[in-house]
Amino acid sequence: MNRIWKEFSKGLWLELPPFRLLLGLCPVLAVTKTAYNGFGMGCAVIFVLTLSNLIISLVRKIIPPKVRIVCFIVITASLVVTVELLMQAFTYPLYQELGIFVPLIVVNCLILGRAEAFASRNPVHLSVADALGMGFGFTLSLTFLGGVREIFGYGTFFGRPFMWAEFKPFTFMVEAPGAFICLAMCLAAMNFITTWQSKRF
Amino acid sequence: MREIIKMILVLSVICLVAGLLLGTVKQATLSRIEEQVLICVQGPALNNVLKKFDNNPIADRQQFKVGKTDTQVTVFPAISKGYITGVAIEGFGKGYGGDIGVMVGFDLKKDELTGIGITTMKETPGIGTYISKNDFTEQFFEHPMSNLALKSQKGDIDAVSGATFSSKGAVDAVQKSVEIYTTLKPEILRSWKQTE
Repeated sequence: MNRIWKEFSKGLWLELPPFRLLLGLCPVLAVTKTAYNGFGMGCAVIFVLTLSNLIISLVRKIIPPKVRIVCFIVITASLVVTVELLMQAFTYPLYQELGIFVPLIVVNCLILGRAEAFASRNPVHLSVADALGMGFGFTLSLTFLGGVREIFGYGTFFGRPFMWAEFKPFTFMVEAPGAFICLAMCLAAMNFITTWQSKRF
Repeated sequence: MREIIKMILVLSVICLVAGLLLGTVKQATLSRIEEQVLICVQGPALNNVLKKFDNNPIADRQQFKVGKTDTQVTVFPAISKGYITGVAIEGFGKGYGGDIGVMVGFDLKKDELTGIGITTMKETPGIGTYISKNDFTEQFFEHPMSNLALKSQKGDIDAVSGATFSSKGAVDAVQKSVEIYTTLKPEILRSWKQTE
């Protein structure tokens, strides 16, 4: 039980994917215009990551080492297409917003990275815990980044008015450069907190 | 040798399972996706171009064959109190970045346009995309079937400044719809109930 919690919780802070490992940055920068988009992208990644880790960990003993990357990619690609179809069928407006970034989950290095670094060497329950932790960390980061950009860029949060009435939105925040600046500030803040903590103890 | 056989076998089995899974999901979601696309892409345009209707034009849509060709065209009817008042037909024209889809509404009685709405386009943001703005599209409101061309081609439509190519694409799409409408009109009148 302890071990499962350890694998789960490391994705939430210690190895928080976009801000610590700097993995999967493409969607982090591209789709976080609003909190809802970030959240939707995160959910798609949780789904794909959990299932891919589960399946890869199940078949890890029969996959020959020489073709393992091909096998991982076939598995993740099928899962991603499944998500894409389900999204089109049930949340079409979200699919229109995320556009090309849904199929691009296939080459998201977070998923292949977890498959190669963790799921192919660890038993099923640990792999699922790892995937869920990483997935939640990814979703939280994307929702946070999307939330910050949406609040300053549109003055709303999850589509609801958030700032006072006379607030003039900085449209800059929802353009591409705003994503880089927000991400940089998050990284700076995280590094600051870590050094501050290590000095204190 | 054994290793090679194992590699081939494992990879084939994985691909087979993946293929079967994808085929099933595709089959299961096919009709739902089609409906969602119609609601989200064509739906907003339909509500703007059709006047006076109390039905659901997407649910009542019908496929028609144009002339003797094999191309299928979807016609969205506007029905008011059980009688058809107009139809909407989508036409396509070549734009700057790909096809421009334009939904065109027609008044069956007066034989005139009731408006247009852009459904799909890949025009340059901030230049070509102005063809979807009211300033351009409102020129087609209650426009007769004739003279549908840009002013430079002796019609009476003002092009969006700086985006002549995109404007021409949109006008071409409208002309395509008009062509389809004129060929299909007798069939349309036969398919739905009219006022008399």
